[in-house]
Amino acid sequence: MTTTSARAAAADVVIRTAGLIKDYRSARRGRTTGHVRALDGLDLEVRRGEVFGFLGPNGAGKSTTIRILLDQLRPTAGYAEVLGATPAAGGPAVRARIGYLPGELAMQGRETAGDLLEHLVRLRGGRGSGRIGPLAERFGLDLTKPIRSLSKGNKQKVGVIQAFLHAPELLILDEPTSGLDPLLQQEFLAMVREATADGATVFMSSHVLSEVEIIAERVAIVREGRIVDLDDVATLRHHAGQQVALRFADPIRADEFAEIPGVEDVEVTDHTVRCLLRGEPDALLKAAAAHHVVRWVAEDRELEDLFLDFYRVPAGELHAEAEEVVVHGR
Amino acid sequence: MAVDTAARTPTPAPADRNGARADGTRLPVARWVLREQRRSLTLWAISLAAITAMYLAFYPSMATDEMEAVMAGLPEALMSGMGWDRIATGSGYLESTIYGLLAPALLLVFGIAAGARLLAGHEEDGSLELEGTAPVSRRQLLLERFAALTFGLFVLCAALGVATLVLAPALGMEVTSGNILAATLGLWLFVLAMATVSFAVGAATGRRALALGVGAGLAVFAYMADTIGEMMAGGDWLSTISPFGWYLGGDPLTQGVDGAGYALLAGLVVVALLAGLLRFERRDLGV
Repeated sequence: MTTTSARAAAADVVIRTAGLIKDYRSARRGRTTGHVRALDGLDLEVRRGEVFGFLGPNGAGKSTTIRILLDQLRPTAGYAEVLGATPAAGGPAVRARIGYLPGELAMQGRETAGDLLEHLVRLRGGRGSGRIGPLAERFGLDLTKPIRSLSKGNKQKVGVIQAFLHAPELLILDEPTSGLDPLLQQEFLAMVREATADGATVFMSSHVLSEVEIIAERVAIVREGRIVDLDDVATLRHHAGQQVALRFADPIRADEFAEIPGVEDVEVTDHTVRCLLRGEPDALLKAAAAHHVVRWVAEDRELEDLFLDFYRVPAGELHAEAEEVVVHGR
Repeated sequence: MAVDTAARTPTPAPADRNGARADGTRLPVARWVLREQRRSLTLWAISLAAITAMYLAFYPSMATDEMEAVMAGLPEALMSGMGWDRIATGSGYLESTIYGLLAPALLLVFGIAAGARLLAGHEEDGSLELEGTAPVSRRQLLLERFAALTFGLFVLCAALGVATLVLAPALGMEVTSGNILAATLGLWLFVLAMATVSFAVGAATGRRALALGVGAGLAVFAYMADTIGEMMAGGDWLSTISPFGWYLGGDPLTQGVDGAGYALLAGLVVVALLAGLLRFERRDLGV
């Protein structure tokens, strides 16, 4: 990170964690048998006004991080700060400025969805009560239905609506689009865009990259309680590389392409070479130029594939590789 | 579709809404919990009043010479232990049927279950998450839910007390209204104390089953200790340490409010609540 952007970030950081560690007690038959480390030194910085994607597989520590930010969990060690205060010190005053969508949204009871939303609005001193109707209409939610009779998708609508109701300056959304059909996902994305247009900051987690890359400016990838990569979406896409296929007039030997820098996963079948290219294609093209090239295909890899790369590599090796990637990128 | 873009910027609510706000936001958590409970509370209140009325209606047939003769043939320890030695008197009958048996049993079922559910139960099923992440402090959340528990039990005890107040004189039970009120107050304090222990264990641990178990265990201990203490020679100390003894040991239906016993019950409520609160404010929620 350059000095200028670091200074800018320090000036207006909405969420900051440093060396955040969270251990859960793992009890069997009531006896404490040890601890499970959910967060292992997580460092994070979310700047005001950005849409920040927080990506990782289930169990990577996304919800743990988020629930610490909302003071539902207390960190074992390390530091967390939201809107200028630690979650415990900030308390209700800070939470009043946050809209939160839980990852595991549980709602019971025979009260109606409208009553529940009214209740949540009252907990916020009445802010946003006038928007219940319009937002419900926008998402096609029937406010008169009892909560317990709602489908998972409809419950998710209630969750999304309550997070946006009071037009908070910070939205913390844990897996926001899970359970929403594609049309409503578009509606949700539109709401995120409107919120950021009005200056809101959005911190959203997901285990599906595609739903974050459309809207997020920066993305952090979390794995086993640590950030393993942090970049803007364009750079991530660059790191993801291209899937290249070259077809030659004559049969090709595999070893000719195996040692080219930036080329991985080389696969040779008869006349065709397939490989993963990261960075500049120069060396690959020069090697190919020694032969008669018949056909050339280079496709951007989905970030999804990059995402998979991170899961494929064991955590230990991953840190080394992630650093290397960053060096290449700059 | 983007109908409400303009509404995104937080604007102060209009004046008329402000009026509704000031009124509607007082104790929002307690109101919501009671609202969710309104059906079950109504049913319980009606049932308790009906059961009370039914039992009291039997009183004229019990207060006869023949019944006293039957009772005279039973072992003395059993008689006093179960409170049957005075069953032919109005206060004795009230105590051995309603105030010493059915009312506490039924109210404990409701109270301990509600105590375990109102924090731990809702935490376990996840429905506390939205409330806990709203701008409400943990202390407020816990105290409002406790207030709902207290109020719910008050309503049920009031239903039972009113039924007794109305019927006892009509059936010639010769128990003063003041003593009925005193016993009802004691009943409320006793059940509230057991329910609060359950509530507090739930607040401290987030485990509903544990909260239920501790609350029910303490209630059973309280009843057993007092009953055995009454029957057993030299067992007075058992009644002395039993919350059930704190409630009925001073014979509120004939003697009125038992200051010391009731103070102990109130003290148990406060101590349990504070202990639960202390832990609830520090621990992880929903794990």
